[in-house]
Amino acid sequence: MDMAFDAHSDVSDEALLVAYGNGDREAAAMLTMRLTPRVLGFAARMLGGDRAEAEDVAQEAMLRLWKIAPDWRQGEAKVSTWLYRVTSNLCTDRLRKRRTVDIDSISEPADEAPGAVAGLIQADRARALKTAMSGLPERQRQAVSLRHLEGLANPEIAQVLEISVEAVESLIARGKRALAAALADQREELGYDED
Amino acid sequence: MTKTDKTDLDDAGLELFFNAAREEDTAPSDGLMARILADAAAQADAREVAAVPQTPRPAPRLGLFGVIAAAIGGWPALASMATATVAGVWIGFATPDTLEDLAGGVLIPASSASQGYALEDLVPSYGEFAGLYEEG
Repeated sequence: MDMAFDAHSDVSDEALLVAYGNGDREAAAMLTMRLTPRVLGFAARMLGGDRAEAEDVAQEAMLRLWKIAPDWRQGEAKVSTWLYRVTSNLCTDRLRKRRTVDIDSISEPADEAPGAVAGLIQADRARALKTAMSGLPERQRQAVSLRHLEGLANPEIAQVLEISVEAVESLIARGKRALAAALADQREELGYDED
Repeated sequence: MTKTDKTDLDDAGLELFFNAAREEDTAPSDGLMARILADAAAQADAREVAAVPQTPRPAPRLGLFGVIAAAIGGWPALASMATATVAGVWIGFATPDTLEDLAGGVLIPASSASQGYALEDLVPSYGEFAGLYEEG
């Protein structure tokens, strides 16, 4: 009986990583499929949508995963948590280098919604959020992104950011307040009231 | 969380934006996936190469001497044999007096009869042989 591709979905990330550490290249292919979208998405949000840079970060993060595979200690952290942390740190490094160069390139002017087409509204909302997020302090942006876009629970976010759970909650609360204020002005254009 | 400004979005309002952003997640490009997979293969290859112990240089083919040496027990044994052989030759050349010294002394005493080696000394049995010859 041939195993369907996604029949492996019940194999944990950790089991795949250990298998790859022992030379199983197919396990690496599965991990790549599973993890790259999340790493890329998180990096893109942190870096303000610079796609090329996000791809660089994603590739670097996965490379570090490949290197650590033989030394991975099971049962300590989730693979995804570890990856988010690496990605977060890589993004922080890049943002630090960028800071003095061109801050303005990150925040685009919010576009006026062209019309009430649902798909355009969604895209505009996404763009508006991206703009608003890029205006947040980095730590708040990380916390809010990990919680509401990556879907991590607070304890896991605490591991990623290497801070306490209370600090995570505080960051998220402040971040959301700032986002709410920034986005409130665009509600009407973005069809908020039409939902 | 208290809302002080009613025009601010509440959680539900924010959630619309979050949903939109989540749905907009674009899939990684094929190029990126290929590069990541290539990295995985390269790392695995590098580890496998490093794990293979260095093959020792193939041993030189043994000649006859080598076979004998191996049969005896290798070079240490051969060294012992060489020493024994040299000792045997030395003993063969030694005078009877010298032999006594070798057995227990260090120096050849000045009173030793021989100042040089006569044939009889080199080949102790020559005297008997010579005797046989002369008598023959």
